[in-house]
Amino acid sequence: MLELNNQYTAMKRRIDTEVLKLFFAGKLDELDRLPFTIIPKDRTPNRCCIYKERAIVRYRIMALLGIDIERFDDEMKPLSEYAKEVMQEDPPVLPLLTTISTGCYGCPPDQYRISDACRGCFARPCMANCPKDAIVFINGQAHINEERCIRCGKCMDVCPFHAVVHIPVPCEEACPVGAVKKNEKGVVEIDHKNCISCGRCARSCPFGAIAERSGLIPVLKMLQSGQKVTAMIAPAIEGQFPGTLAQIRASLLKIGFDKVVEVAEGAAVTTEHEADEVVRRKGEGEGYMTTSCCSAYMELVDKHLKFLDERYSRAFSPMIYTSRMCKEQDPDNRTVFIGPCLAKRVEAARRGGVDGVITFSELAAIFMAKGIDVREEEAADLGDTSAFDYCRQFAITHGVADCVLSRVADPASIRVLPINGVDKKTFRLMKSWEKRAPEVDLVEVMCCEGGCIDGPGTIVKPAVAMKLRGGTKAATPVASVKAPL
Amino acid sequence: MKKEKVQVRICVGTACFVQGGSDLLLYNDFVDPAIIAECEIEGCSCLEACKVDGEGAPYVMIDGEVHSKVTQEEFARLLTQAVKNA
Ligand code: SF4
Ligand code: SF4
Ligand code: FES
Repeated sequence: MLELNNQYTAMKRRIDTEVLKLFFAGKLDELDRLPFTIIPKDRTPNRCCIYKERAIVRYRIMALLGIDIERFDDEMKPLSEYAKEVMQEDPPVLPLLTTISTGCYGCPPDQYRISDACRGCFARPCMANCPKDAIVFINGQAHINEERCIRCGKCMDVCPFHAVVHIPVPCEEACPVGAVKKNEKGVVEIDHKNCISCGRCARSCPFGAIAERSGLIPVLKMLQSGQKVTAMIAPAIEGQFPGTLAQIRASLLKIGFDKVVEVAEGAAVTTEHEADEVVRRKGEGEGYMTTSCCSAYMELVDKHLKFLDERYSRAFSPMIYTSRMCKEQDPDNRTVFIGPCLAKRVEAARRGGVDGVITFSELAAIFMAKGIDVREEEAADLGDTSAFDYCRQFAITHGVADCVLSRVADPASIRVLPINGVDKKTFRLMKSWEKRAPEVDLVEVMCCEGGCIDGPGTIVKPAVAMKLRGGTKAATPVASVKAPL
Repeated sequence: MKKEKVQVRICVGTACFVQGGSDLLLYNDFVDPAIIAECEIEGCSCLEACKVDGEGAPYVMIDGEVHSKVTQEEFARLLTQAVKNA
């Protein structure tokens, strides 16, 4: 997967922020100018030309507006027109992702190639180890016969000069379930029936050809219309912004949320359920149980691992419990989940009971558009969090299991297997459980490696976030914070 | 005479932080310890540079001079240079 901070994400944040500035100024009718201000005439383009760059900016804006580009792309239609429609009626949530075919480079099929670094050595381990006799020598250099090559990578492993390179198709390589394919024109397509909304492909394409359809505008509309909205902040939020949780809370109140509730509170309910359940299942000799809080994993079970239907915990996800609690307390309030996750939008749409889902990176765009500096906000009281603050660990791999174990009488008796990230390999492993069950009691599944703190909607590298997490010491990995010189 | 340390301020205002500035906080992982020893590295609140040019974030101030679009590599380079010139 791509590094979190790259030119494409920088561009994305800028576009999002500029669109929101127009939104807050009530000037969405000026949207059509934006691709031209963002990509000015004198820019040195990263793509083939500024015209293509402008076209991609336009698509990026459409994705932010929530348009299903695959189906409703009309090149003649002005962005302001799309915006008007979206302001009148919220677009449907699914499918979550949309491809930007113009942006796709049409990367050639996955291949191994032998570079100039080949010295045509005497030992020729590539030739000796290739199971298909696909290596041929021409003019004293090794070459791969494409027709014979089965892409096993053995030659790459054995070359002493590292002369063999693997050139993957980033999007296809990233998808754990093979839902990303190329059409007959060699352009990316997503098989929405099989997609589990993990967001890996969107984060992997170096051309930004896969985008998530945002749910931000409907949420902003709610806030603008004066409805009371409760912000439910996912446990991963800590460390995503330069400030403490209390300051993040203050910033959210400032942008118009009526209340701010930690999803860790709902996670405590999930934890209690799972703790009871795992002990009961073990007692009754039922075999392993998996967690159920990761929405992409729930999609995975539903679409690809049906046999796990009876294995996952019956507990609802922290988001669902939290939203219920919010609505019990304030029946008139609408609830918006703010998290690192794209799949949560799918869960919210399928299960209902949650009125909106946005990501940290979208929240960052709101802060930037409104000029809110989280670190400068006066801390807002978090209230008494002692009953649930241990569940902030839900954001990190092994954290859910740790919470559950902390709630069972004999934690040492529960054998845990964490699935830290679902990629092609772990997906294969999980498939094998149908024939051979893992000999554990609790399987914790998180589709994102490292846990939610490395989810597709995050803005800060997990390594940085980890430094910033932990209550009040936020934003002080540097010795101290001083005024500018 | 004892050499003055190079004064480094990494902007931790929201605009800089979310546009890559957070990466710089890992400076211990990518800057030569000998260089770090010659610097006093602190965070600082918004340098107001983002208000002028939002595209330039993240910003870093080194001995009073503001630098824009500072990546990890650029940060290491700037510090090394500043220490040499000090
Ligand atoms: S990574 Fe996939 S979506 Fe991106 S340009 Fe290559 S083929 Fe297209
Ligand atoms: S399953 Fe994940 S990687 Fe595959 S298409 Fe869906 S979001 Fe992309
Ligand atoms: S946030 Fe860094 S200059 Fe404003």
